[in-house]
Amino acid sequence: MSRAAPSPIFTLRGAGAPLNTLHFSCHGGDTPLLFSGSGKGAIHMWNLNTRRAETVAEGHSGNSVVWVNTLQGTDTLISQGRDMRVCLWDLSEGRTAVLDSLWTGSVGFCQCSLLEMSTETHLLAFAGQQTEEIKIVELPSKTPVCTLIPDAKLGMVMCIKLWQPDSGPGPLLLAGYEDGSLLLWDVTQRAQLSQTKAHPEPVMCLTFDPQCLRGVSGSSEKDLCSWRLDGQNNLQLQDSVPLVNPGVSQLCVRGDGKLLASAGWDHRVRIFGWKKLRPLAVLQYHTDLVLSVAFSDHQDPRQRLLAAGSKDQRISLWSIFNEGADTG
Amino acid sequence: MDSLAPHTEVRVAVAQCFRTLSTSAEPEDIISSLQTLHSFLDEGPESRSTPDQRAEFSRAHFTRTLQFLLSNIQADWLLGLSAAQRTDLWDGLFLRGPPEQALVVLMEGISELKASTSLDLLISITERFLLSGRLAALLWSSCMQTAPSDSPQLRETLLARIVALPDLTANRLHLKNKPCFCPQQYFTLLASEMLTALERTCQALKDGTDCSLIFVAQTLGKVCVQGHSGPVFAVMAPRLSVCTRSDMVWQRVCWKLLQNVPQRWMESVLTGLVQAVRGPDAFGRIVGNLVLTNKKAQYVVTHKLLLLQYKYETQVLRTVLGYLAADRERRPLLLQVLRALSQAWANPSAVRHTPLEQQLYVSKALLLSVNLLRDAELQELRSELLQCMLGGMQSHLDSSVVRIRHMGMVVGECLSARMDLNNTKLKFEYDQDEETLELLSLMTPISGEEPEEEPENGVTSPQETSEKTPSTQNASCQNKSKSDPGSDLDSDDEFSPYDMSADQEMTKESPRYLRDCLETLISSEDSVRVELSLRVAEALVRKNVFAAREISVQLTKVLLHTEDKYSIRGFLSLRQTTMVALTVTDCIPVTQYLTTEFYSMNYGLRQRLDILEVLALAAQELSKPISEERSPSVGVSSCTDLTLYPGDNPVHWRQVVERRIQSKTKRLTKGATQPPAKATPNRYAPVAGHFFFPLLSNYDKPQVTFDLLGGDHLVLGRLIHTMGLFMHLAVNAPVAAQMGRALLDFVWAVRYHVDQMVRRGVLFAVCSVFLSMPSQNLLVDLNEQLFETRTWLADVAEGDPDEDCRNLAIQSLVLLDKSLKKQLQDQQALDMET
Repeated sequence: MSRAAPSPIFTLRGAGAPLNTLHFSCHGGDTPLLFSGSGKGAIHMWNLNTRRAETVAEGHSGNSVVWVNTLQGTDTLISQGRDMRVCLWDLSEGRTAVLDSLWTGSVGFCQCSLLEMSTETHLLAFAGQQTEEIKIVELPSKTPVCTLIPDAKLGMVMCIKLWQPDSGPGPLLLAGYEDGSLLLWDVTQRAQLSQTKAHPEPVMCLTFDPQCLRGVSGSSEKDLCSWRLDGQNNLQLQDSVPLVNPGVSQLCVRGDGKLLASAGWDHRVRIFGWKKLRPLAVLQYHTDLVLSVAFSDHQDPRQRLLAAGSKDQRISLWSIFNEGADTG
Repeated sequence: MDSLAPHTEVRVAVAQCFRTLSTSAEPEDIISSLQTLHSFLDEGPESRSTPDQRAEFSRAHFTRTLQFLLSNIQADWLLGLSAAQRTDLWDGLFLRGPPEQALVVLMEGISELKASTSLDLLISITERFLLSGRLAALLWSSCMQTAPSDSPQLRETLLARIVALPDLTANRLHLKNKPCFCPQQYFTLLASEMLTALERTCQALKDGTDCSLIFVAQTLGKVCVQGHSGPVFAVMAPRLSVCTRSDMVWQRVCWKLLQNVPQRWMESVLTGLVQAVRGPDAFGRIVGNLVLTNKKAQYVVTHKLLLLQYKYETQVLRTVLGYLAADRERRPLLLQVLRALSQAWANPSAVRHTPLEQQLYVSKALLLSVNLLRDAELQELRSELLQCMLGGMQSHLDSSVVRIRHMGMVVGECLSARMDLNNTKLKFEYDQDEETLELLSLMTPISGEEPEEEPENGVTSPQETSEKTPSTQNASCQNKSKSDPGSDLDSDDEFSPYDMSADQEMTKESPRYLRDCLETLISSEDSVRVELSLRVAEALVRKNVFAAREISVQLTKVLLHTEDKYSIRGFLSLRQTTMVALTVTDCIPVTQYLTTEFYSMNYGLRQRLDILEVLALAAQELSKPISEERSPSVGVSSCTDLTLYPGDNPVHWRQVVERRIQSKTKRLTKGATQPPAKATPNRYAPVAGHFFFPLLSNYDKPQVTFDLLGGDHLVLGRLIHTMGLFMHLAVNAPVAAQMGRALLDFVWAVRYHVDQMVRRGVLFAVCSVFLSMPSQNLLVDLNEQLFETRTWLADVAEGDPDEDCRNLAIQSLVLLDKSLKKQLQDQQALDMET
């Protein structure tokens, strides 16, 4: 006898625009926060204790915010807007001021990817001005590190993921392209390591788990495609997971590597077991496309939340599969 | 003249003592005369008196002695005695002589004395009297017939004193009453003393001595009839049940005891006992075949407990019916009871005029007794039962009260299953609730042994339960350990999936224009498109008011005639909310259309009820102040959750009535209607008449398919209720006075309708008239009707079989009085000013 479908533990309303991106900041500090970027250029900072928006920052002159993140260890927020700019915000002592900004030149929807190199320096990867171009810069100095352009015509860059492998000198970068290809780049060598065609349609989103070297990507069709890296950094396609309805906006693996969440165009969030991609739950609450999902980074695993942001201008928060938390 | 000798001797000695006590001041004399008096009570070998003397003293002088002592309670010599001497010599006389005389004198003394040390003394003696088991001695002596004279007056007085002891002491002592005189404790004590007396009786019978239980039985009867059967039987029933299990003498004693209970007290004894015993077997052992020998007992058990009273638990029914079924000689009574029960159940007038609780009680009794029948007996009663079943089901199913219909269905099912009608069974569709489940559970007999486990003093039962709990814990532990090893193998199995059956394919794009919806609903055969159109229709109506106004009547017409061809989830509520939205958006034309259609031909009851509900909901919405943001999400989320159509849910209907009444009562206590936070125009007031008057126009014109005043009283009840709601919402509207007058006229004709739903509706309407009509209009316009209405309401409040009706009538009376009082005060104030 399976349990009845779950319902959200609470919802956040009042953003007044579709919610493109979500980012939790719950590991340190007193109040757990959730950042959201809206379609009208506002970045809401939701206090998860009071369940109200504490501050609203507007910095992209009304253009849609497609990505937000925080720099680990500092009170710096980073946001990317469709005004082709990436902004760095100073949040310390309750300020909301734009410290610095960076012009990307990208007209697409590709979200940036951030990698912490040391406590001070970060690498930021973003889609560049040209169609297939990916640029990587160092933050906060904004020094360009490299520009990656594939040899073949693959269409626009759709999604990227930068990570530092345990073995190997430099960071690697995974990128999904408009024609459905996945590419693995070596950032220091500026070389293409592997390429595979994962989807017939554009790759809409991907996520990668550096621990077990597995990743999964979603597209506008009915399948999630999972793949892995072998010892020689070759991308190998594995089985695909069929969905009931086509279209995935975002994928997210929980910090403990046990759950995968997908934000569906069918207004639903799906939960899979990350090991075997076994479907575990379908979260139905939203009345329009779900655009983003995120797992919180609470230190106590039992408090972990899942947030989903939707085009229906709401964020739903779910507490799901936290029972066996003692092991994780 | 030998026999005279002890008499005179004793008399002389006692007189001597009295003289000494009243005249002498010497402590030695006092003590020796008290000791002399004591010597007449002493039994045993070293006693100074002969048995004859003792008997004579007890018979003729003991009461006198005690009275004498009491009258000298303030004498100096008493105060001169030491505490030990007093306790021994003075108090001892009360505690050691014949207890019945002592008790009578003590109670007399207590009721005569005012608060003083003397009273305290008497109270403490009485307390010791009770605690030292003198009551048992009293009862036992009556059993032995050693009581001096059997004069009825003395018995009567004694009985009254025993039973009324808590009252007497409480009256005298007020707050200083002793705990052992409180009814709960006293009657528990009395019960155990009666048990002691019975036990001694048993012993005596075994030894071959005759005993009489008349006095004990009278005591028991009197205690019960005064309402103390609870504590008494709480003690006696378990003990008697245990004792009678193996001991025939005990059984005989119990039977004799109950036989000796006077007729006029028999009922309270039996009802007390039947509630206290656990199970029919125990009851049978204690009561024996009393029902066969005692007419009164038979009447109580076979008639009064089953058909007239209905306050008892189901366990009582089980006990009574099981008792009748248990013995061959009593079985004819069971059949007789079953006949009576089935007639009572099937009686159409009873269905209509008796309280619901009683019908439930009779249904339970019927099912239980049918279950107890043997197959042969069933054959004998078959035709009668069948008759009862068919007739009774018809009258139950006719009722407009859902619970009664359910009751009819369940009983019908059970009877048909039990009678085995050529292997055919009735089967109804109804929602399982607590009540139906309880009725169904009555058909499975409880294994007879189980409730019989009556531990001697309730010690064993906690052990049993404590034994049980670890075993269940063990089981759950085992389950856990079984599931544990599997989870280590694969981490995905650590999580058990949720129910994902609702994860269906997304349907096509929903229509964006109201006209598209209309087109789809009219002509499309595609179930998906129809569903989508229905789902978005309400939001579209509210979004684009102008577009909605253009086609409001047309869309209403289509919706009214739409049927749920495709079993769409939440169809009825979707249709309803859309129609409500249309009515609110384009009020006058739509109400005009709906009210006309309500009385036209070729509609089903369901549609007519729908019309009423849509109008009611729309009126409610209109009367609310406009909320700034009617977020569309409310509508959307509610139609996904709200699968139950309100009209289908019987609880809902009652809840709504309840809530409305409650909301009104609250308003009353707060004074006048609360001022809204911000003044907004009432959208309902200008159009209230459009909702109200058209519905009044045609009610008395019966048609081929629709006869409001005839068989369709379900619709009539709803209609009146809806009108009441319109009235209630029209508070402060200018048209309220006219509406109220018209509504009162309308309901007057049906105020004594047979259907309680109609009567409830009428009373609700009257309530709302009194609430909403301005009080001056009430007095001026309805002057002559008010008096009659009041009389009618008082009549209903007193005599209606339906509880809701009675409550509503009381509510109306209160409202009317309030309104009138206010009006009269206002007028007085006006007169004063002028």
